[in-house]
Amino acid sequence: MAAAMPGLRVVIAEDAALFREGLARLIESRGHQVACSVADGDALVAAVARHEPDVVVADVRMPPTHTDEGLRAALELRRAHPRLGVLVLSQYIETRYAARLLEDNAAGIGYLLKDRVADVADFAAALERVAAGGTALDPEVVSQLVRSSQQTEGLAELTPRERDVLALMAEGRSNAGIAAALVVTASVVEKHVASIFAKLRLPPSEADNRRVLAVLRYLQP
Amino acid sequence: MRGIGAAAQATYSARALRELLFCAAEVPLGLSILVVPVALTGLPVLVTLLVSGADPGHQQAQPAGPAGFAVVAALFVLVALLVLAPRLARRLTAVHRRLAGRVLGEQIAGPKPIRSRGPVSWLGATLRDGPGWRAAGYLLVQLPLAVLGCYAVVIWWAAGLVNMTYPLWWAWFRNHPPGVQLSPVPVLTPFGVLHVATLAGTFAAFAAGGLMVAAAPWLTRAVVRADLWLMRGLLGPGRLERRVADLERARALAVDDAATMLRRLERDLHDGAQIRLATLAMNLGMAMDRLDAEQDKPGLAEVRDLVGAAHQSAKDAMTELRDLARGIHPPVLDNGLPDALATLAAASPVPVRLTTAIAHRPSQAIETIAYYCAAELLANAVKHSGADTITLTVTGEAELLLLRVTDDGHGGADPAAGSGLAGLAQRARTVDGRLEVTSPPGGPTQVTVELPLRA
Repeated sequence: MAAAMPGLRVVIAEDAALFREGLARLIESRGHQVACSVADGDALVAAVARHEPDVVVADVRMPPTHTDEGLRAALELRRAHPRLGVLVLSQYIETRYAARLLEDNAAGIGYLLKDRVADVADFAAALERVAAGGTALDPEVVSQLVRSSQQTEGLAELTPRERDVLALMAEGRSNAGIAAALVVTASVVEKHVASIFAKLRLPPSEADNRRVLAVLRYLQP
Repeated sequence: MRGIGAAAQATYSARALRELLFCAAEVPLGLSILVVPVALTGLPVLVTLLVSGADPGHQQAQPAGPAGFAVVAALFVLVALLVLAPRLARRLTAVHRRLAGRVLGEQIAGPKPIRSRGPVSWLGATLRDGPGWRAAGYLLVQLPLAVLGCYAVVIWWAAGLVNMTYPLWWAWFRNHPPGVQLSPVPVLTPFGVLHVATLAGTFAAFAAGGLMVAAAPWLTRAVVRADLWLMRGLLGPGRLERRVADLERARALAVDDAATMLRRLERDLHDGAQIRLATLAMNLGMAMDRLDAEQDKPGLAEVRDLVGAAHQSAKDAMTELRDLARGIHPPVLDNGLPDALATLAAASPVPVRLTTAIAHRPSQAIETIAYYCAAELLANAVKHSGADTITLTVTGEAELLLLRVTDDGHGGADPAAGSGLAGLAQRARTVDGRLEVTSPPGGPTQVTVELPLRA
C-alpha cells in the first residue's frame, strides 16, 4: 500500500458508526493516520483544535438537526484554519452548499458524493489533493455549477473542448488526469489550459494558483 | 344523612358559587343595553320638559326649538346605532364570552374579525356581518334572562340570606321589656311579604330564608344554563362553521402528517440503507484495491471479476436509492425553500433565473408542495415549451406563498389537456391553494401557484 503522500493526519466527522469506521480503515490503508473520529460538528471543531490535522473529512448531515451542521463546521474551520484541507462528503449534492464552500477560496476544498468513496484510489487521491491545497469537486457539483454560471463573462469565449478541460480541472484533475479522461496527449491539454488562462485573463503569477482561480471564475454562480 | 350532605355539597359546590357570580355579573351586563332606549326617549322628553318648564309662554311660538333638535338628534343616534349594531354587539358580547370563560371555564370561540378595505366596504361588511347580527340577537334575547337572573340573585339569594339573619336582629334590637307592643317586621319571600312580630316568628323567617337559599343555586343554575345555551347558539360558531373548522384542522393534520412521514422515510433511508450500501461499496472497493495489488497470483482473476461486479452493483444501487430518496423528500428542503430551489434550478438543462424573497417561512408541508410544484413546472417548461430561459420567482408574504414560473417558449400549454398541470392544481387545492396558467399560442407561458403559509 504505497501512499502517494505519506503520513497525512486526518480527522473524520460522520455520525453513522459503520461508515465512519470503514472510512477510517480506508484512510489508514492508504498509509495515513486518523487522529480522531467524531460524530457531530461541534466535536469536529474541538477535535481540529486539539489534533491539528492536515485534512478533515466531514459528512454534511449530522446531529443534532441533521441538515447542514457538517457544512457549517467546515466553513467555521476554514475561517479559523485557512491552511486546513476540508473534504465534505454528502449523500446528495446541493448547489447552494457547494457555492457556500467555494465562496471565497476553492483551495483546499473538496465536495464529493459519498458514492465516490467506493472508488478507493480516486477517493484517496482526492483526499491527498485537498490536503495539498488543491480542489476535489464531484463531477455532479461541477456540472450543476457550470449550468448556473453559464452567463459569466469570459467563459463565452471558451470553445467546447476548453470547457471540457475546465470542467475536469474543476474536479481537481491534473493535466495528466485530464489527458487520460479526454483521451488526448498531455501537451494538447497544456495548450488548452494555457488558452483558458488567457481567455479568462489570468496572467501567470507566483502567489495565486491559476488553476484554482480559473475554476473559481468558472464556478462562480 | 349522607344523602342530604351530598346534596348540600353539590348545591354549594364551588361551581354553584361560580354560577352565582356569573349570574350576578350578567345582570348589569345584560341590562346595560337598556341604557340605549332609555337615553334615546328620555333625552328628548327631558329637553322638552326643561324647555317648556323654563319658558311655558313661548312653547306655542317655537315648536321646533331645542326639543325638536333633541328628537332629531335622538333619531340620528338611533339610526347610527342600528347601522353599527353588529360591531357594537361584537364588542359587548366579547365581554359576555370572556366572563363565561373566566368565571365558568366555558370557552366559546369568538367570530372571525370583519375584513374590509375602505369606508364603503366597511359599511357593507358591517351590515352584512352575520355573526355581528347574531350577537345583537343574543343581547336582545338575553335581556329577559338578565331580568330572571336579577330575580334569582336578589329575591332568592340575597333575601334568603337576609331572612336567615332575623333571629340575630331580634337579639340585638328587640330586647325590649315584656309587655311592649311591637310593630311587625316585614319578611321578603318569593311568595309575598310576611310580617313577624315575635321571636318565634323570626325563626319562621330563618326557616323560610334557609329554604330560599337552598333552592337558589338551582335557580341560578337554570338561568346560567339557559344563558350558556344562548351563547353557544348565537355567539359561538354555527354547526357548519364548526364542521368546516374541524375538517380544516383534520386536513391540515393529514397534510402535515404525510409530509412528516415522507421526511421520516427519507431520514430512515439515509441513516440506514444508504449508509449500509455506501459502506458495502467502500469495503468492496478496498477489496478490489487489495486484489489489484496481487494481480499476478493465479486464480484471483475470477475473484476479482466477481468482486468487481458486486462493487459496480453496489454503486448502481446507491445511485438508484439516492434518486428514490430524493423523490420522497429532498433533504435540503429542511434548510428552507431557497436552498432547495437553487439546487433544482441548477440541475435544469435550460438556464433558470431564480429569485426568492420569503419573509415568513411556510410550514414544511407547504414547502414540500411548493418544491414539487416548482420541480414539475420546470420539467414541463424544459420538455414542452422550447424555452431558452426560465424565470422562477418565489415570494412569501404574511399569508401567502407565491410561486411563479415564466418561460420564453412557444406557449399553448393547456391545463385541461391531461398535462401535469391538472395534477399540480389538484395538489395545490389540497391546501386551498390555486394554480393559474396563462399560455397564449406563441408564448410566453406563465404559471402562478398560490399557497397559504400553513395547510
